[in-house]
Amino acid sequence: MEILQFALRKIIGGIPLILGVTFISFLLMVYYGPDKTYELLGKNPTAEQIESVRAELGYDQPFLQRYVTYLREIVTLDFGNSFSSGERVNSILKRTMPISLAVITPGFILGNLLGLVLALVAAYHRSGWIDKAIMGFSVVGMSISFLIVVIAFQLIFCSSYGLNWFPSRGWDVYSLSDYLRFVTVPTMATIFVALGYNTRFYRAVIVEEMGRDHVRTARAFGTPPAQLLYRSVLKNSLIPIITRIMFSIPLVVISGSLIIETYFGIPGVGKVTYDAITQGDQPILKAVVGLTAVLFVLTLLITDILYRVVDPRVSLK
Amino acid sequence: MTAPVGKKPVLTVKELVIEFQTERGVVRAVDGVSFELYAGQTLGIVGESGCGKTVTCLALLGLVPTPPGRIVSGSIELNGRNIVGLGDREMRNIRGRDISMIFQEPMTALNPVFTVGNQLCEVIRRHTDATRRQAHAQAVEMLAVVGIPAPAKRMGDYPHQLSGGMRQRVMIAMALSCNPSVLVADEPTTALDVTTQAQVIEQMVLLQEQFDMAVILITHDLGVVAETCEDVMVMYCGQVIEQAPASGLFTRPSHPYTAGLLASIPRIRRERLQELPVIRGMVPDLLSLPMGCRFSTRCEYADQRCQAQIPSLRTATGTDAAVACFKPLGEA
Ligand SMILES: Nc1ncnc2c1ncn2[C@@H]1O[C@H](COP(=O)(O)OP(=O)(O)OP(=O)(O)O)[C@@H](O)[C@H]1O
Ligand SMILES: [Mg+2]
Repeated sequence: MEILQFALRKIIGGIPLILGVTFISFLLMVYYGPDKTYELLGKNPTAEQIESVRAELGYDQPFLQRYVTYLREIVTLDFGNSFSSGERVNSILKRTMPISLAVITPGFILGNLLGLVLALVAAYHRSGWIDKAIMGFSVVGMSISFLIVVIAFQLIFCSSYGLNWFPSRGWDVYSLSDYLRFVTVPTMATIFVALGYNTRFYRAVIVEEMGRDHVRTARAFGTPPAQLLYRSVLKNSLIPIITRIMFSIPLVVISGSLIIETYFGIPGVGKVTYDAITQGDQPILKAVVGLTAVLFVLTLLITDILYRVVDPRVSLK
Repeated sequence: MTAPVGKKPVLTVKELVIEFQTERGVVRAVDGVSFELYAGQTLGIVGESGCGKTVTCLALLGLVPTPPGRIVSGSIELNGRNIVGLGDREMRNIRGRDISMIFQEPMTALNPVFTVGNQLCEVIRRHTDATRRQAHAQAVEMLAVVGIPAPAKRMGDYPHQLSGGMRQRVMIAMALSCNPSVLVADEPTTALDVTTQAQVIEQMVLLQEQFDMAVILITHDLGVVAETCEDVMVMYCGQVIEQAPASGLFTRPSHPYTAGLLASIPRIRRERLQELPVIRGMVPDLLSLPMGCRFSTRCEYADQRCQAQIPSLRTATGTDAAVACFKPLGEA
């Protein structure tokens, strides 16, 4: 009950955020985004033709009215039809979102999990050679650009110059084995790129926690290493860990999938968004921006609830 | 030392030397400390900040942070077994079962995300083969023993729901839960208000008798030492400079440093206290110690021999005290 009330309060509190984000994005989209009118018209259009296309696209209405329409679309979750293909935006999203999630999720989870494990090991052996080796590799991983990693991985795993085990591009998935075939290389690339950052961040958090009094107490009572790391260290560093993971979700979902999907030719939301930006397909952009803002507010809400779950000192206020 | 006849010490520390590798060089934080401890006895360790009290005690539990720290030489016999150089696993079995330690900061010493009951049961189950239910029952009993009202209810509380005094009692309950032979208390009451301090100390004295433990009490409060300790060990720059029964030490200190410490206790009764007599000068840096007696730079009796040679611990004539001084008070 307390949680429900809290959730409601948070969502209401998130409305200004959604309004702000969507307003600014829409403003930029309308005044600085590409104009679809002339693409749809042939050569030498008459003034009437231009008028009618603009009316069809809704360009002729005043800005505020168009913004209100946009808000109505967000509330009803109905964004009309794509300017480019004429397909319903909702059905495009319904088709592409699962693909994007399927592409990003394994890399996101494994990247954080592996980072956490490496960080725990490094922090436990602090300033020993294991720690130094792990931190060394992290720095190397951090300093190589994503593009190079993708090209290198495609060469190594997807080409006849290398192992040629996986397809380099595309998404042709009908079974689990198809899925594994297409998802492996993008996943490895994302892990490779994220791992260094994750490991360094988590190590810093864990090292700080290991210096705390209650960890020394646990040691003084004979707590074995695995339990010490789990009960005393990990459980107490969950707040910064959760914060990092949760706040990277909107970012990863949008920019992560945008980059991966373009490099690997995967028809997910990222690819659709990318195409929509280049073609000025406003209905799709409006949907993506609106949903991202909503996702962000939901993320904030879930993060706060998770804080309460992991730390008894936090109250839902 | 007051060695009870026919009893064997539970803890014998011999010539313990501990060094730390620091950026500025090797620091010898504990330098040749020796003492014995018998069941039912309380040993007080006093001395200025940084003289090696905590490090000495951490060594007893094998908790000296390594690196940078290292036990260079010496032995620590706990119940007849030398624990210096024991493996990690063996050391873990000893901690909390044969020897327990409670720390200065009750506010932060407990794990904030588990209930006190959970943490107590955890320790009990690690060191005994009690079932979950037995451990729970024993934990409640321990909370009652250390004087926590409504202990069964308190089991479900998180540390932040308890007051400082309560938390320190929980720490004591945890330390005593496996009936250790030695309890180390490192300034257990420093962070508490005066009334709570007195209560917690009183409780500890009671429990020591009840459990027949040996206790090492580190404190800056000489009044507490006088009330609770049979023996007192005065440390200075990593060395023991005087070791004596508390009764004698307070009435007739042998080492000029001890005398200085005692004189620095404000006495309310003394009328019109002009100024507090304090020991002049500063504690020397462990990296650049004086050649001879470490206290010689601050000692008003020091002569050439004091500045050239390090006095070793010996019995001062006419007392039970062991003192490391060429010119102990009352022997001139
Ligand atoms: N982790 C460490 N790294 C380096 N040197 C240390 C470390 N811990 C302790 N030392 C050294 O050991 C000396 C003794 O420290 P210790 O904590 O035992 O002092 P103490 O007598 O307990 O002082 P206090 O009354 O302030 O608690 C310090 O002066 C310091 O130089
Ligand atoms: Mg100390």
